[in-house]
This record gives sequence, C-alpha cells and structure tokens, in this order.
Amino acid sequence: MAELTVERMTKRYGATLAVDDLSFTVNAGVVTGFLGPNGSGKSTTMRALLGLIKPTSGEALVLGRHFHELTNPIRTVGASLDAADVHPGRTGRSHLRTLAAAAGLPVSRVDEVLDMVELTPARNRRVKGYSMGMRQRLALAAALLGDPRILMLDEPANGLDPQGMRWLRDILRALAAEGRAVLISSHVLSEVEQTVDEVVVIGAGRLVMQGGLAELVTRDQRPARVRSPRTGELRDLLEEAGARVTTDGRAGDILLVHRHTMEQIGTLAAEHGIAIFELTRDTGTLEDRFLELTGEKGNVR
Amino acid sequence: MNILRSEFLKLVSVRTTWILLGLMILIEGLVAGLITGLADKKDLRLANVPDLLVGTPFSILFIVTLGALISTNEFRHGTANSTFLVTPRRERVILAKLFVGFVVGLVAALLFVAVNAGLGLSILSSRDVPVDSDTAVNIYIGVGVGFILICLFGVALGAVVRNQIAAIVGGLALFLALRGTITLFIGDDVGRYFPAESLLGLQGNPKGEGVLLDQVDGGLVLGAYCLALAIAGLFVTRTREIT
Repeated sequence: MAELTVERMTKRYGATLAVDDLSFTVNAGVVTGFLGPNGSGKSTTMRALLGLIKPTSGEALVLGRHFHELTNPIRTVGASLDAADVHPGRTGRSHLRTLAAAAGLPVSRVDEVLDMVELTPARNRRVKGYSMGMRQRLALAAALLGDPRILMLDEPANGLDPQGMRWLRDILRALAAEGRAVLISSHVLSEVEQTVDEVVVIGAGRLVMQGGLAELVTRDQRPARVRSPRTGELRDLLEEAGARVTTDGRAGDILLVHRHTMEQIGTLAAEHGIAIFELTRDTGTLEDRFLELTGEKGNVR
Repeated sequence: MNILRSEFLKLVSVRTTWILLGLMILIEGLVAGLITGLADKKDLRLANVPDLLVGTPFSILFIVTLGALISTNEFRHGTANSTFLVTPRRERVILAKLFVGFVVGLVAALLFVAVNAGLGLSILSSRDVPVDSDTAVNIYIGVGVGFILICLFGVALGAVVRNQIAAIVGGLALFLALRGTITLFIGDDVGRYFPAESLLGLQGNPKGEGVLLDQVDGGLVLGAYCLALAIAGLFVTRTREIT
C-alpha cells in the first residue's frame, strides 16, 4: 500500500475548481517532488491529505485511511504547510513545546529536533526575530517531532540560501534513506531537482505526469540536431523516410529532425555516404520540460 | 490532559497574557486605592461603595480580549494547522481552550478580589466608612462568576468568529459599547436579558435592583449565552475548512 494516496480527488471552492480529478501515490523510501505553478492546487491537495479540508469528491488518504482516522497522527505524518505559521511572540522552543505537549512527547524530544535542524543556539529567541531560513528549519523541526514515517512539506525551500538548500537536500535524502516517504512541494523545479527521486507534476489542478525524475525529460520528443555539408540531400532522404525536418534558423548547415532516433538518422546518412559532422539531441533542462508540461495548463482558473 | 497542558503552555508562553492581566490588576488597584483614599467620605457612604467593589469596565475589556485571544491566536498566526494535525479531533482543542478560559477567568477574579478587597476595603475600614459584608461578598461572588463567564464568552466567540479583530471588537461591543444603549430602544424588560445587562445583574450592584436581573438569573442568562456560543464554536470548528 502506498503511504499517501490521492484518488480521483476534486476540490471546488464555489465556481473555482482548485483540484480536478487528481490521482497519484507517494511511496516509502523516496523523496517525491510535488511540482506545479503557484495556484495549481498543490497546497489544497496537501491540506486534503492532512484532513484540514474535505475534498468535494474523491479521496485523499494516508496509509489507506483518512487523516482523522489515524490512531497516532503525529507519529504517522509530520507536516509543515507554511513556515510562517508560528506565533511570533513565542520562542522557537516554546512553539515546539506546545506541540510536543499536545502529542504527549517529552521535552527532551523538542531539544533533539532543535538539534537536528541546527537551531539549538536560537531556541530561546522569539520567532519574530528569526530569518525565513530559520523559520523553515523550525517548521521542519515541528514536522519531525513525532519521528513520523511520512513527511509532507509545502515549499520547504522557500527563503533558503544556497547553504540552506544544500542542508535541506541532505536531511531530506537522509530521512528518505531511513525508509520514510517524503513529499515536498515546489513551484521552482531547480529548487528540488537535486533532492527528489520521483515527481508528481500538476497544472491547473490536474495531473500532468507522475514518474521518475528522468522521465520528466522525454528525450525523443525533442528534435535531433544534425550538421552536415549536404543538408539538402539529407533532408530529402529523411522526409522520404517519414521524419519531420526543419532548419536551425541561425545556421544553414544544421537540420532539426523530429520523429527519428539518432540511430535511424546516422544509419540513413551512412547508407547514402553523407558525412555528418554533428549528431546530438537537445535534451533541454528539467526546468524547460517542467515549463512545457505545466505552462499550457496555466494556473488561473 | 496532554491537550490541556499544551493549551496552558500556549497561554503562558506569550507576553500578551501577562501584560493584559498585569494591566487589569494595576488599573483596578489604582482606581480602588484612589477612590477609597481620596473620595469624600460622605460620597463613599452614600453611593460609591458597590460601584467600587464591582470595579471598572477595564476588567471586562482585558478579560474578554484574553478569552478571544485564546481561540483566535490559532487563526491569526496560522498555528491552527499544526494544532489540528496533532489533535485531529478538533472539538477536544476547543474544549481545552474553554477550560483554559475558565481558569483564566477564575485567576483574574481571584486577583481582582485580592486587590479590590485588600486595598479598597482596608482603606475604607481605616477611614471608618462602613461596608455591608453581605453586600460585599455577594458582589465579589457575582464579579468572580462574571469574570469566568465573560472569559468563556470570549473563547467561544473566538471559536465561532475566527477573525481576531472581529472577535475582540464584537465582544467588547456586546459588553461595553452597547451596554445600556439597546435598552434605550427596546426597554428594560427585554434589554436586561442582553449579555452586558445580564452581566451587570450577575454582579449584583444594588443600584440595579428592579431594572436588571437578579444575580442568579443574570448568571444563568449569561451562562446560557456562553453555552450556546460554545456549542456553535464546537460545531463550526469541527466542520470548517482550515485554509
């Protein structure tokens, strides 16, 4: 059974469709990136998983059950939905103490998680004096209080400096390596591309894709780039073989070949004795692919 | 018990709690000391003693505000998310907050009586101004129960109206700003059942006899308001979406 299951979930606020027939799963032992533009329905989905809002239809389940049915929620799911969700007048330690007390956890656990997120020196300072990065660490500490098997973090990299990003990546990878399911949302792929193993991409509340990070770049969908001294002849041959060929506007000796693998192009050229100086495929960046996938969906509904 | 410990920690870990309670005691102490120490003896004998025992409207202001803060801080600062993740049965959180409100009202009442009786009554005694002990006890009991009920009212109102400003302004309007004005339009027969008027009745000021409800009825009416609001607060908290 998946750790988190979203099954045909729809959430409607009046005339606005926030989440539209969304289905995906999150498994143990991997970091799953929940990606989509701002307003695409990521936070709504996470709130539904956490029982804070009720889906209009469909299910959002933790270990196959609704959140409120969990016998020990804090030991099952640790979550941070917004690092700003802290009373600014409390110290970091007293904020965690209120949560630990409600969960029946000892004060020593508060000090442990403060140590884990390297916030011990600032534990007795009021949160209003914390930087955004420190608030993110405090939010992660709160999520870790119950030593949960599932970790759900909404935009945890927001406001982190490069050093903080690296720290977050290391700690999340370590937590997943311990067998936990980690779901982190982001609207900026580059923030999480070095952290996640799998991705769930949504746009306008609908699933765009779920799979491994590598699958986000579907190589064969991009054209092969061919440089040759006999482009006219090669173009005719390729088009006869069913390929769609365009030219790179900047250079006349370069063809962009769609619907053909590099092996097919190379073999065809060799059979006709045509020299090829360059044969590559522009894979693009993950960011390009992400924008391609989610861009057309938009995020305003 | 865990949830109660958590709610008490929330209360004592913010300065606002101590500032509001401290201001209440300071103002009530100053007023009690100044009136009993400086007012003309004849005036004190004639009219002002029951008023002095009831205290100033500042107490109501601070206690209603404290009660509302107990509930609305969760939404004002977004801590409702983590609170309801740790305790998904949200009605338990509201019940714990109501209990904390009860304790805050009780502590405020004890502090008030300690300052008012300790300072005011001792000065009156030293100035040979007689105070009927039965009246004093009745008023103190009424004020004490009133403090507990208005704090509970604030907590319950905050659970229904989660906007902090709206809850505080609404509570203060009901108990202070609108006090007496409604009765001008609809008369005492109905007006005395309103929250502020029922609180005045509960406090047992002898000057209100015939116009206000008696102490027990005033307490019952105000208690009924609290109960109704608390039930509404439990219901909406259980069903509302935390966004």
